[in-house]
Amino acid sequence: MPTAVTVMLHAAPWLLQGALMTLETSLLAIALGLPVGIGLAVGMRSRLRALRGFVRIYISFARGTPLFIQIMLVFFVLPSLGLDLPRFCAGVIALSLNSGAYIAEMIRGGLTAIPRGQIEAARALSMPRPLMWRRIILPQVLALILPPLTIEFTALLKGSALLAVIGIVELTRSCQQMVASTFKPLEIWLIVGIFYFVMCYALGSLTRYLERTTQVYRTV
Amino acid sequence: MNFDFSVVAFGLPILLRGLVNTVLFCVIALPSGLALGSAVALMRLSHRKVARIPAAAFVEIIRDTPFLVQAFLLFYGLPTFGVRLSAATAGILVLSIHSGAYFSEAIRGAILSVPRGQMEAARALGMSYLRGMRRIVFPQMLGYLLPALTNQIIGAIKDSAVLSVITAPELSMAAQMVLGESFSPVETYAMVASLYWGLIAAVSAGLMRLEKRIFRSDAVVARPETPRLALSAIETTAS
Repeated sequence: MPTAVTVMLHAAPWLLQGALMTLETSLLAIALGLPVGIGLAVGMRSRLRALRGFVRIYISFARGTPLFIQIMLVFFVLPSLGLDLPRFCAGVIALSLNSGAYIAEMIRGGLTAIPRGQIEAARALSMPRPLMWRRIILPQVLALILPPLTIEFTALLKGSALLAVIGIVELTRSCQQMVASTFKPLEIWLIVGIFYFVMCYALGSLTRYLERTTQVYRTV
Repeated sequence: MNFDFSVVAFGLPILLRGLVNTVLFCVIALPSGLALGSAVALMRLSHRKVARIPAAAFVEIIRDTPFLVQAFLLFYGLPTFGVRLSAATAGILVLSIHSGAYFSEAIRGAILSVPRGQMEAARALGMSYLRGMRRIVFPQMLGYLLPALTNQIIGAIKDSAVLSVITAPELSMAAQMVLGESFSPVETYAMVASLYWGLIAAVSAGLMRLEKRIFRSDAVVARPETPRLALSAIETTAS
C-alpha cells in the first residue's frame, strides 16, 4: 500500500485547510446559534400568544426537516429576497438557524432544573422580566447546558459537511476536489473520515469531561 | 418574492414519487438498522472483550464521522475492491449501518436502565440469557427505549435526505430533478421541506401514540420515570 500512503500524505495539507474551514464554520454557527436559541427559549415563555406560536412552529420546522433541505432553502431563498450574500454566509446562517432550535430545546430542558421559588422570588422583588432572565435564569441554565452544547457543536461539525453541496470549500468539499484530481476515492475518503473522527472524538472527550466536572452545578 | 404555483402543479407528482421512495428506503433500512443496533448493543454489554471492543469501536467510528462522508466512502470507495453497488442499494446500506450505531446506543441505555438484579434473578431461575432479555428486561426497558428510539428514527429519516448526493432516487433527489426542469428553487425546496415536515410529523405522532398505547393506565407495564433531559443529551442528530 505505499501508493495509498503517498496519496494520503499528498492530500493531507489540502485537507488540513478544509478542516480549518470546517472548524471555522461550526464555531461561527454555534456562536450565532446560541443567541438564536436563547431568543427562542425566552419566546417560548413569553406572555404573547403569537410569539409562543411562532416559536413552536419554528422549532417544529427546524427539527422536522432535514438540515440538507434547510441549507438549500436558505441558499436559494436569501437571494430571492434580495439579499445577495456570499455562499459562506448563507451556509453559516442555515447552520445557526438550525442549531438555534436544538439549543432552545436544551435551554427548555435546563429551565426545568431551576426551582420555581427563584422565579417567584424575583417576581416578589418586582424584578423586571428581562433582568430576571439575565441575572437569575440564564447564568444557571447556561452552566447547566454546557455539556449538551458541546454535543451540539459536534453535531454541527458533522452537519457542516453538508455545506459542500452549496460549494463551500470545507473538509468534505476539499476532499471531493482531491478525489477529482487524484482518482483515489477510497484513500481520500478514508483520510477525511479520520480527520472528522479525530475532531469529533476530541470533542466527545471534552463533553465527558464537562459532564463530570459540571455535576456541581446540577445539584444547585 | 413571488410564489409560482405552476411549479407546484408540475413538480408535486414527481416529488410525491420521491416521497414514496424515501418512505421505502426507511422501511427497509430502519428495521435492518434496528436488528444491527440490537446485536451491537448486546455485544457492547458482553463481558467478553472480543465482542465488546469491536462493537464499541464501530459505534464510535460511525458516531464521530458525518453521514455524508460515510455515504461517499461506501459508494465511491467500495468499487476499489470490485464491489459495485447501485445508488439505492448503497443508500439503504449506509442508512442501515448509520442508524444501527445510533439505535444501539438507545438500546444499550435502555437495557442499562433496568436494574441488574432483574436479569440475575431470571438467570437464577434457570432462564437463558436471551429469554431473560425477552421476558424480563425487554418489557421493563420499553419506557426508556421508545422515546429514545423515536428520536433516532426521526433522525434517520432526516439523514436519508443526504442520500441524494450519491444519486439515490429519494425525495431530495426528486427535488433536484424538478429544479432542473423548472429553475424555481424557492418553490421546489419549499414543497420538499413541507413534505419532509409532514412525513416526520406523522411518524412522530404515530410513535407517540404507540408509546401511549403501550403505557395505558391498565397496562401490565408500569410507566417508569423517563429521564427526558438525559435523553436529549444522547440525541445528537442535527442533520
